[in-house]
Amino acid sequence: MKMKRLVSSVLAGLLAVTMIGCTNAPAGGSASSGSSSGSSSAPTTAAESGKITLNMWCIATESDSNRKSYEKAIADMEAKYPDITFNWEAIENQSYKTKIKAAVSANETPDIFFTWSCAFLGDFVEAGKVYCLDEAYEKYKDELPEKMLANTTYDGKHYGVPTTMNIVGLFANMELLGEVGYDEIPGTYDEFIECCDKLKEKGIIPFGCAGKETWCVTEYLESVIEKSAGADTLNSIFAGEASWNNQDVADAVDTFQSLVNNGYFDPSGIGLTNDEVKNNFMAGKYAFYMNGTWNCADFAANEEFFPKVKVGEFPVINADKAKLGQLIGGPSDTLAVSASSPNAAVAADYAFELGKLICHYGYLDGCGLPAWTPYGDTSNVNGLTQTVAGIVADSDTMVLFGDTAMAADSAATYLSYVDQVYGCLLDGQQFIDGLAKDIK
Amino acid sequence: MESITQKESKPAAKVGIYIFLSIWALINIFPIYFMFTFSLKSNDEIFGKNIIGLPAKWLWSNYATAMKTGNMWLYFLNSIIVTVAAIAISLMAAMMATYAMTRIKWKFSKITNAFFMLGLTIPIQASIVPVYVILSRAHWLNKYSTLIIPYAAFALSMAILICTGFMAEIPSALDEAARIDGCGYFGTFFRIVLPLMKPAVSTVGVYSYLQCWNEFMFANVFISDKAHKTLPVGIKALSGQHTTEWGPIGAALVIATFPTLIAYLFLSRKIQASFIAGAVKG
Amino acid sequence: MKKLKKGFAIFIFLLPGLFLFVSILIAPIAVSVYRSLYDWNGFSEGTFIGFGNYIELFTNGSIKFMTALKNSLILAFFSVFVQLPFALLLALLLGRGIKREKTFLSIFFMPVLISTVVIGQLWLKIYNPDYGLLNRFLDFVHLGAWKHTWVGEVGTALGSVIVPTIWQYVGYHMLLMYAGVKGVDIDLREAAMLDGATKWQVDRYIVIPIIKPIIRVSVIFAVTGSLKTYDLVRILTEGGPFQTTEVPSTLLENMLFLRNRYGMGSTISVMLIILCFAFALAITAAFKEKD
Repeated sequence: MKMKRLVSSVLAGLLAVTMIGCTNAPAGGSASSGSSSGSSSAPTTAAESGKITLNMWCIATESDSNRKSYEKAIADMEAKYPDITFNWEAIENQSYKTKIKAAVSANETPDIFFTWSCAFLGDFVEAGKVYCLDEAYEKYKDELPEKMLANTTYDGKHYGVPTTMNIVGLFANMELLGEVGYDEIPGTYDEFIECCDKLKEKGIIPFGCAGKETWCVTEYLESVIEKSAGADTLNSIFAGEASWNNQDVADAVDTFQSLVNNGYFDPSGIGLTNDEVKNNFMAGKYAFYMNGTWNCADFAANEEFFPKVKVGEFPVINADKAKLGQLIGGPSDTLAVSASSPNAAVAADYAFELGKLICHYGYLDGCGLPAWTPYGDTSNVNGLTQTVAGIVADSDTMVLFGDTAMAADSAATYLSYVDQVYGCLLDGQQFIDGLAKDIK
Repeated sequence: MESITQKESKPAAKVGIYIFLSIWALINIFPIYFMFTFSLKSNDEIFGKNIIGLPAKWLWSNYATAMKTGNMWLYFLNSIIVTVAAIAISLMAAMMATYAMTRIKWKFSKITNAFFMLGLTIPIQASIVPVYVILSRAHWLNKYSTLIIPYAAFALSMAILICTGFMAEIPSALDEAARIDGCGYFGTFFRIVLPLMKPAVSTVGVYSYLQCWNEFMFANVFISDKAHKTLPVGIKALSGQHTTEWGPIGAALVIATFPTLIAYLFLSRKIQASFIAGAVKG
Repeated sequence: MKKLKKGFAIFIFLLPGLFLFVSILIAPIAVSVYRSLYDWNGFSEGTFIGFGNYIELFTNGSIKFMTALKNSLILAFFSVFVQLPFALLLALLLGRGIKREKTFLSIFFMPVLISTVVIGQLWLKIYNPDYGLLNRFLDFVHLGAWKHTWVGEVGTALGSVIVPTIWQYVGYHMLLMYAGVKGVDIDLREAAMLDGATKWQVDRYIVIPIIKPIIRVSVIFAVTGSLKTYDLVRILTEGGPFQTTEVPSTLLENMLFLRNRYGMGSTISVMLIILCFAFALAITAAFKEKD
């Protein structure tokens, strides 16, 4: 660990050198007006001429679970770089998507901005609005494995700094499972189905899933497809390298639909939001809830519910094509640097260091898994997040959430098909035929 | 309507009307109760356990949470500044334009009026990016006027339409007489027409208020600095990416709405008075 | 000289309005028309495709434009023929100067003042399939068979959006009409009453004809408002299930900011502007004819 610290302080020195090279840049005019409320650092004694201003937009609003990690990370950065005036704004998740796209259109992006990986950032990169991070990355290679940059690499160039990442987890209410004689989440698919049948007999609904928010359905469907057809197949389909016209996918969709038709899913689910379903799960209405591992922190924070819940991996359905360790998820939360930033090179280094700190503090808070190599004492991370970290450490392949992986227009088409599968308007064959036709 | 011709000074009919009005009043007052109790509950109660009853535990802490996050009082003040200024500007511009189009005879008055009606048709989502680009080129972002001007513009068409309706109720003999007495266009407008438009002022005020006070899309995109954020954006920031505590949102909404309700109740007397004043003079 | 003076007066009176209007409203329309002819994602270079977007809008069923249009027209229909008559009835009753007039007026207007977020949450609690008030009520009166997953089923979702929308804005139209009713000369009213007319007859033959310009305004607001409806759809159904409750504004927003099809989004907004404007003109003309 000491070695790491040493490395980072050397890096800091390097960064300072680079910054001196940039001091010609004009000082920001609004340096004092909107400075962060989270800042606790004393006014600097550095010469005024050496000051630059960096602006950042992110989605860590005051009530977001990532807020604390952002605040701590930024406080550290401000203490370390008193010459950089750092202003940041947090915008609510859904409205941020509109705001950032409008800002990219109008060339009003701040120096550093939060973005989602793959297609979301890809469109901005294609339009030449994002600063390439290859040069800056060289300094952080040892702490940030290159495979974590896969989702933000376009034409072999890196454009994003990942912070935390998440996967889909199978959350189970062990109290309910106990009622039908299980004290572990069943490990094989046959046992799993047997367990669902027993639950059903007892009048317990196995799965809760919010049909009003289609991304919740994909958490289930993509896991079923991946564990039937294999991670590589799904990855190449999402990447547009293979056709949707794949019999294994059709069969997997039919498998998923049989789960729906067998009454394993709450029939009310089609009219519920995820907030409602999650609260139902915590209130003991469902035995299982498949959703992102960002829920770990929330479950852990609920003293009454925490002892009852366990997290695991969805079992393998077809062992010829899939295996344990193939997961849905991956790094998506990303910081990027605007190509139009007057201090892009400084911003790039700043983004890397900040991303590393956000990742560090976020992991300690249980908000997600680290994309960066963890450091420091992590024994206080909540049990659920630690279990998930273990699953990820043993993982084989990851497939990013389909709606993030695919281009925006295709993703919307895909979601509308998923919607119809959940509503049993389409079967597996129609699903693959339709998508093969409608997604180019 | 013809069938109901009995004099309803009959007590039975009168009681019927009051019962009807009272039931409708109950239905309309319920959301206030709902909002207030909502603001004092936890997610547990909001989702399932107790959706419309009084809170089991009165979580006044939701209010503390709502006020602590961000700078709610500042956002509140900003909203007031932006809304009041936008209403004032659009109201004045609308009355002047309406006067020119309905009381002065000229060739293109009808077409100009129809042209202004285009404003009712524009979906706000579609104008976000073009207006943003215009404001950005003019270096006109992150100020109060960044929102005031677009809000005034978007309220304008509606204001003109309402003013046209009201101005039609004022007998044109009145201002014609004034003109013959030697009043110029401006004199007639300010001394004769404007005072008679009091009912229109309060009505347009209320409607423009509705449009500006809760506006979110422009405020979200055009303002990127804490000092000028408005209340709807502040309230939205109470939702997290994956988790949302609904109680504090309810509390913030109460804080955003109750002053409105009180102001409205207070103003409605004034509005009432202005209606009567207008009617007598007309 | 006189003519010059008049022209000058018109110019000055119109100047502030026109300035606001052209810079903030008309310029974006022009941009939308221009962009609607492009295949453009909003950031990079676009390709000119002529009327390609317009053709696709009507021929590509997966865009659901026709569904959206139909939904908003259904809403407009209920708004004009259910909501407005009801609002007019309330306005007339209150306009007679009954006891507690002010209290009723204020209460009836309250739903308009409350944020749509609260109204949306309230109706979600009413419609919730498990613990919702509506299903519980149906159980209570032994009509369990009528229970539905209201916002999640194709058959009931649209109705579930229309009811709250209509309800919330009754007060909006009522206040406008009430203002008109109160503007009617009291002497006229009293004279008619002295001649032996009932209150209903006064309303029918004296008040309604006088407030016709205001009713016209209300109809225009109701129709253009319905075509542009947005908030409650987003909260209650998100356009689902299976996109059956999409309205033009939700489609438009999806195209602009979700699907990155800025050109197609502009096309929808141009269509929406044309439609609203056509309706507004038609309504104005219809009211003229009746005079």
